Amino acid sequence: MDVSQYLEIFLDETNEHLTNLNTRIMELESDPDNMDTINEIFRAAHSLKGMAGTMGYKRMQTLTHDMENVFSEVRNGVIKVNSEIIDVLFQCLDALEEYKDNIQGSADEGTNDNEPIIKMLNSILNGGSAPAKPAAVPETAPSKDAPDNKWDHVVLDDSQVTVIREAQKQGKRVYGLNVMVQDSCILKAARAFLVFKAVEERGEIIVSDPSAQDVEDEKFDRDFTLIILSDAELDEIIQASKAVSEIDRVIGAEIDLANNKNVHFVPEEEGTEAVEEEPPKEEMPVESAAVPAAAPAAPAAKPEPKKQAPAKPVVNRTVRVDIEKLDSLMNLVSELIIAKNSLVSVSSQEQTDVNSAFNEQIEYLESVTTNLHESVMKVRMVPIESVVTKFPRMIRDLSKKLDKKMELYMTGEETELDRTVVDQIGDPLMHLLRNSADHGLESAEVRVQRGKPAVGSIFLDAYQEGNTVVIEVRDDGNGIDVEAVKQKAIDRGTITAEQAANMTDKEIIDLLFLPSFSTAKKVTDVSGRGVGLDVVKSMIESLSGEVEVKSKLGEGSTWTIRLPLTLAIIQALMVVVGEEKYAISLGSIQTLEDIPASDVKLVQNKEVIHLRGTVIPLIRLNEILDVERKPSDEENLIVVIVKKGDRLAGLVIDELIGQQEIVIKSLGRYIKQCKFISGATILGDGEIALILDANTLI
Amino acid sequence: MELSINNNQSVLDEEKGRESSNTIQYIVVRLGEEQYGIDIRNIDNIVKMPRITHVPKLPAYLKGVINMRGEVIPVLSIRLKMGLADDVITKATRILIVKLEEEGNVGFIVDEVKEVVTLYETDIEKISSDITAEKGSLINAVGKHNGELISIFDLAAISLEEN
Repeated sequence: MDVSQYLEIFLDETNEHLTNLNTRIMELESDPDNMDTINEIFRAAHSLKGMAGTMGYKRMQTLTHDMENVFSEVRNGVIKVNSEIIDVLFQCLDALEEYKDNIQGSADEGTNDNEPIIKMLNSILNGGSAPAKPAAVPETAPSKDAPDNKWDHVVLDDSQVTVIREAQKQGKRVYGLNVMVQDSCILKAARAFLVFKAVEERGEIIVSDPSAQDVEDEKFDRDFTLIILSDAELDEIIQASKAVSEIDRVIGAEIDLANNKNVHFVPEEEGTEAVEEEPPKEEMPVESAAVPAAAPAAPAAKPEPKKQAPAKPVVNRTVRVDIEKLDSLMNLVSELIIAKNSLVSVSSQEQTDVNSAFNEQIEYLESVTTNLHESVMKVRMVPIESVVTKFPRMIRDLSKKLDKKMELYMTGEETELDRTVVDQIGDPLMHLLRNSADHGLESAEVRVQRGKPAVGSIFLDAYQEGNTVVIEVRDDGNGIDVEAVKQKAIDRGTITAEQAANMTDKEIIDLLFLPSFSTAKKVTDVSGRGVGLDVVKSMIESLSGEVEVKSKLGEGSTWTIRLPLTLAIIQALMVVVGEEKYAISLGSIQTLEDIPASDVKLVQNKEVIHLRGTVIPLIRLNEILDVERKPSDEENLIVVIVKKGDRLAGLVIDELIGQQEIVIKSLGRYIKQCKFISGATILGDGEIALILDANTLI
Repeated sequence: MELSINNNQSVLDEEKGRESSNTIQYIVVRLGEEQYGIDIRNIDNIVKMPRITHVPKLPAYLKGVINMRGEVIPVLSIRLKMGLADDVITKATRILIVKLEEEGNVGFIVDEVKEVVTLYETDIEKISSDITAEKGSLINAVGKHNGELISIFDLAAISLEEN
């Protein structure tokens, strides 16, 4: 079967399951007896196994299979979860992640069998179940006898049940037979065929599980189960089957339908369930305990199904859409907004006698396009949850590795951001968290000495603030040692001692964002190779965001990342400089001021204005933008006050046009943009206005 | 009149003789007194001179950007690029929207767009790389058409040399 077309779905779902497993195992560690969590883990591991099997990723399947066995024992209360088991499970997840990455890269799972992990899993299993029973022997009542009486778990449909009942009435005997092929057997299908033949000479095979076709195609693991009508003795049939070479074991018994749990169930229910179960059907009987748990509708509902029920809606009803399709939808919406803008500009040019119905329609159109735009944007928005859920796990690992005690507290995981941003925000956040864990938090002894709780705290808070999303990484550690940074910068020749003396603490802390600047006294493999903060900064800036840090020595640091909600359409102030129109994002504008030319003062040969107690540097846009200023005899300057973080600057413009919703377009690859132009937009009249990035001007 | 018929006749004869040979269509443009050809497969559109939005801090030959069906397209002056005098915008001035492989669409300002000609590959003579290596040369071949020479633009040079 060609499964390549399912690869994408497979990867997506694997991702989901792995994330889910990571989270749940974390939960399990803190609450080892939570049945809901265990069931959820079991379910995820099981789906993962099924999917890997379907896709033909054998190694992945084997690993998940062994993992699932452990869970099944945990669920049955045979094994108690402890820290070692959790460690091994996390290693499993890492290995699975590796398979997934390989598959993503090359559609191949790679050649790593991860035998050590599998061995560990098996030793957990053996250590956990005292009599060292095979892994597949769960100890709960419903499946205690699973491997011996597999025929009791075979799914029978109505007609088959009738056939069996009829046969029994007629005095024929109905046997269940389970045939196990030797592990080393190469031609399983051929051996199975010989068994089939031997059995058919002595009776009639009513049911085969897996189906005869699957057996023929070698789509079974090591054993298959038959239900036979026969006049012959059971022993004779077993002997005949065993006579086939390379058959490990044949067991059988006369069937009593009352024993078949599946017959008690509503057959249709079980039927659909069986379809949903992944192709490695030989798993079915062993899993029969899991099946009713996963199907809340099953009448034999034990307590589990009820607990399972609330977990069900967690899986959202979603459609996976190619991001490119969304992009093109977004582009169309942009076009529509441009067209709308041009209608608006036409209507405003015309005299007032343009009939009011026209204006009304334009306003209506405006509200429709705005809503449409918002909806399309929302489609592109995903919660940052998908990125941050892996962090508790990371902090846990770091805690062990660094031998520091720490806890991660997260809030606002549901905060939504544009998909493209979410995809790329993971690495910078990870850098910052590692940074906090490694450099920020002190060791437990030092913390106790300083009167802090021994366990360090790292906080990850996300929230929306106006048109931006703020993500804060905060720790209660040592904070940034400004003097150490200063000394380092001087040693490295980044700044001179004189410069250092004149720099504010903030400016010195900002040095941390320069390439190759790491103050870690010890280089660990967690952080401190001098890559990190500069990468964080450039990554965030590439997303049109910004990052800043506030720190107090001895009390901790706060790293704040600000990201724009959307990247494609913004509200902007349109201004005129010389002959050209420019757009400035409203987000960075503080106020608009009318300043008498005489108020402009010179400080260190730079123009500044004094505004409500603050000295603000002036930037003459016409000089920066290489355009001729319109000669004007007006006494006053129009100044747009823009802010970036705490800093302000005044941009001198010639004329104000007003506020407008603009669609950001790239200038194309041919033009190497100067840094303060962040793009262009098309105005209603078809002209192009450049978008000024005020952040780079300050 | 008679003359042109004769001309056509001879063209027809030529075509018959070289049916197997491949042909390429070129858009012929005028820059000053010279004729240049651009492979028609690389042309997206030809537009009249729109208002060009100036972009700061660019080399002089990059005139700015224009709006082409909602797409922002950079416009460059072939004249300045080749070291000729700056463009004088007339009624005949056009912008050729050219598709570059790497950079997407780019507009070329030309003095006039004359015609579309079909040249046989055998009529196109590659210029040796010695001459093209000279800085600023955007020409990599010369085609002959009706006794006139048409210099053929090397789009790769325009896109590579950039930045």
